[in-house]
Amino acid sequence: MSISLKRARAIFVKDYKEFSRNYALSIMLIFPIIIALIFKRAGASLPGASGFLFNSSFVLLTCFAQACLIAEEKERNTLRSLMMTPATTMDVLIGKSALVFVMSAVVLAISTLLFGYEPANIWAFVAVIILSIILYTAAGTICGLFSKTLLEASLSILPVAFIFMGAPWGAVLVKDYPVFKVLDYMPSSQLVHLLGLSNTGYTTGDVLKPLLINLAWTVILTVVSVILYQRRLKDE
Amino acid sequence: MDVIEVERIRKSFGHKDALADVSFSIPKGEIFGFLGPSGAGKTTLIKILTAQLNPTSGQASVFNQPAERMQQSAQKMRFGILTDNSGLYERLSVEENLELYRKLYDLPKSAVDKVLQFVNLSGERKKKTNLLSKGMRQRVMLACSIIHEPELLFLDEPTSALDPVNSAHIYKGLHYLNEKGTTIFLTTHDMAEAELMCNRVAILYQGQIQTIGSPKELKRQHRENVICVDLINGESYELPINEGTADQIADWMRQGLIDRLETKEPSLGDIFIKMTGSELL
Repeated sequence: MSISLKRARAIFVKDYKEFSRNYALSIMLIFPIIIALIFKRAGASLPGASGFLFNSSFVLLTCFAQACLIAEEKERNTLRSLMMTPATTMDVLIGKSALVFVMSAVVLAISTLLFGYEPANIWAFVAVIILSIILYTAAGTICGLFSKTLLEASLSILPVAFIFMGAPWGAVLVKDYPVFKVLDYMPSSQLVHLLGLSNTGYTTGDVLKPLLINLAWTVILTVVSVILYQRRLKDE
Repeated sequence: MDVIEVERIRKSFGHKDALADVSFSIPKGEIFGFLGPSGAGKTTLIKILTAQLNPTSGQASVFNQPAERMQQSAQKMRFGILTDNSGLYERLSVEENLELYRKLYDLPKSAVDKVLQFVNLSGERKKKTNLLSKGMRQRVMLACSIIHEPELLFLDEPTSALDPVNSAHIYKGLHYLNEKGTTIFLTTHDMAEAELMCNRVAILYQGQIQTIGSPKELKRQHRENVICVDLINGESYELPINEGTADQIADWMRQGLIDRLETKEPSLGDIFIKMTGSELL
């Protein structure tokens, strides 16, 4: 599968211009910062605060923005026009995901600083944030490709928000409901585990397990989004 | 050389045939009109030829290659498409929209100026596309589809709902493109447009080609064998074409009585109605 960085960059630049003029969507950039400020006031040691900050940012910013960018292209028939140009599946998906990736990374970096979170292992933290941005971007792409309009896209992220943001809280109920054990394997739960590593000591396994589980999620959702996009190339 | 070859194409959606046993070919440099009412299967065929749909049976080839290959980047460089499913980025200016396509087709910067002149929109280049009239938007979409000067251009009802001035702009541009060697596949339900633009037309009805040929040929084939004569005294006659009529007309001419003389030629619309028993929608 060929990739032309020139074409991907052209789509990135186009998306940046569109996004910067779309105030309804670009306002989403401030939500993670607002959440960070609210939790900072409440105290950075508040249990689950860092997990909530990151997981809600991934859903409300990364996933939502990507879903809206894709759905808007579908609603206005520009995605079909884009598909008829020489841009390949990877050119389009990389170009369209790059903006959300950069935006999420910058906003999360600012939010982390404002919130005052200090990771126990900076490399593991950076790795899990990068993996999470990619996997939530892929989830957003899937939601966008399933939606026909912006409104549908906004609604389609509700299940993602419910499952992914709620999983770490659901995992707390595992003693009463053993079936909730499965929620521990959600990327949001694994992120909470990793964020909760103690500065005083952790094992390599404590770091590797969440990273590998989230890597698996990232690969699966990315492959699904690519397959779904390729199916949308056909009008069957 | 044929640019498009379609052989016994059938496309079914459920139990309904959108196209049934459609065959034709289009040589390089031709403007070919695919005529029919809404829902006749015109857009379905464009989708098959541009690899957006697979046929249920039959074969279609474009540039001597199976139509499915039109999804490859190298093939997409060779054709352009304008359909009612084409769209513009509303928050971007005309120039920014075209700039995207220029980069996607890897063209020099001059391509944008050239195509803007071509569609007569140089003065509107900085305008956001959501502020343009429908006719101007259609011209921008046409510009996006021809910025790379394609060898083959698919146009799906390019002037539907446009006023005559905007339609004329588009016709002029398309003739110019065709003179430069672009083969044009045009679908329309506007018979006057087909007559003005096309070298050959096929009339499609209920998924089947009813007739195919140049507008002139079709009119000749379907011409009624009568001659209409208007005399200067106001009398009108419809006479069969035979020796007796020739003598009569010669006689009237000698006396200087003839005001108007013409064969009774049907329009493409008349031919369509005759062949299908349906009015155009």
